[in-house]
Amino acid sequence: MEEGYTSLPTSHLLGSVPAVIAEEKPSAGASQSLPANLQVFPPGNGGYIPPESPLGGEEQAANTWKGFCSLSSYTPYFNVDTDVVVDRIISSVYPMDDFSRKIDGSPDLYGPVWISATLVFMLAALGNYGTYLIQKKSDLNGDWEFDVSYVDWAACVVFGYAVAVPAACYFLLQYFGLNANLIRLWCMWGYSLFLFIPASLFLVVPSEIFRWIIIILAGSASSWFVYLNLMVSTEGSDTRPLVISALVLQFALALFIKIFFFS
Amino acid sequence: MSYGGTMPLHPSSQSDIDEIENLINAGTHTATKVRPSSSPTPVVPSVPAAAATAPGGSPRIGISTDALGSPPDTLTEPVWDTVKRDLTRIVSNLKLVVFPNPYREDPGRALRDWDLWGPFFFIVFVGLTLSWSASVKKSEVFAVAFAVLTAGAIILTLNVLLLGGHIIFFQSLSLLGYCLFPLAVGALVCMLEGNVIIKIVVVSVTLAWSCWAAYPFISAAVNPRRKALALYPVFLMYISVGFFIIAID
Repeated sequence: MEEGYTSLPTSHLLGSVPAVIAEEKPSAGASQSLPANLQVFPPGNGGYIPPESPLGGEEQAANTWKGFCSLSSYTPYFNVDTDVVVDRIISSVYPMDDFSRKIDGSPDLYGPVWISATLVFMLAALGNYGTYLIQKKSDLNGDWEFDVSYVDWAACVVFGYAVAVPAACYFLLQYFGLNANLIRLWCMWGYSLFLFIPASLFLVVPSEIFRWIIIILAGSASSWFVYLNLMVSTEGSDTRPLVISALVLQFALALFIKIFFFS
Repeated sequence: MSYGGTMPLHPSSQSDIDEIENLINAGTHTATKVRPSSSPTPVVPSVPAAAATAPGGSPRIGISTDALGSPPDTLTEPVWDTVKRDLTRIVSNLKLVVFPNPYREDPGRALRDWDLWGPFFFIVFVGLTLSWSASVKKSEVFAVAFAVLTAGAIILTLNVLLLGGHIIFFQSLSLLGYCLFPLAVGALVCMLEGNVIIKIVVVSVTLAWSCWAAYPFISAAVNPRRKALALYPVFLMYISVGFFIIAID
């Protein structure tokens, strides 16, 4: 990552350490006229924005994209600190449109990956625990067994949803000619799943009515979050069907969670 | 043995130079057994790979040199010697990583001599124990446990690297595998013991032990502002394994 730092003329940025001005690399020279842009994935022209800079549209950056197999080309998407991640998580719980502003300059992939992983664990563990409580409450004759297939189903559904739905949305938006950023979509959908984590804690309670209330609340809040952020992203009214279907899909996920894991 | 005033070495070549020096010293002294010297060489704390060999840790039993000749062929040695060497290394790594010892604060020194046999044994052991404890779908239980632990270790290492941390990939895999040892002990106890309360207590204790073992290495590897981001997935993996141990009966 060092060449990313040394090629940036950062002395005009407040608070940053002036970089050592090394001789220009030929590849960096070719790309200097193009703005650094995390809005394009893969960032063929420039993949790095220093954390201090705002939106970064006019920054010059060295080309740090080294192909799909090199780890360092994904590092800009994990360039977050603990307080940044916590801040984004909190703003995902309250379905206000702060979130888009927060991820404007630097969408991250840390949140989606680990929120999905946590949700998989929560669904598998608490789903089984919920089954155990129901069986104890109704005094059924059989022994309760830990159902390992919950882990498989949870992993497939959650990771599949978090990867495929934003990708499909991205392709559809590209088809309609709108500018879409795949990383932003992944980031946004990943954070929208966070609401299901506390919801699954409440879904353990072995009361059918309570479970339905919880999942309807969580599903609505999460869908509303997706809806708001998609509207901000697309800013066009002819994508209304797409946004509505995304909303419905999120709600369908919530229903599936309730029906499969906490029936 | 000071390298001041010369070009700063790549961290991994520091240890190589130590090894070469040991061989030279052993050759000139015509000694038949080489013990890693415990002279204090400068250690870079932020890069775990740059370290002297663990003093008193893994004696290189059986490696003898004669006046800078090559070490004896490990292909022709008795099988018991090979196994014993690997077992000794596993035990010494275990002592460094999991048990309290004065070198824990220095991550580079601790797993200088990493290996993957130990982690492999522990992961398979946890999988087998869980599979034995399960009453239904035994093979699926083993598959899930093995996949979670193996893929989890790889993904956790990638996570630290992506967050800008400094670790060596295989050293971190080795470390995460060794820190599984307390949970392996806990799994064994829970297999033999049926009471849920006791299982919860045992798993909680061993889980805390595992997390305590892994903490200094992971937190030393990343930027302090991202420490929680690197540590949380480690705890998540161990907690999920702990949950499996309690729940499978």
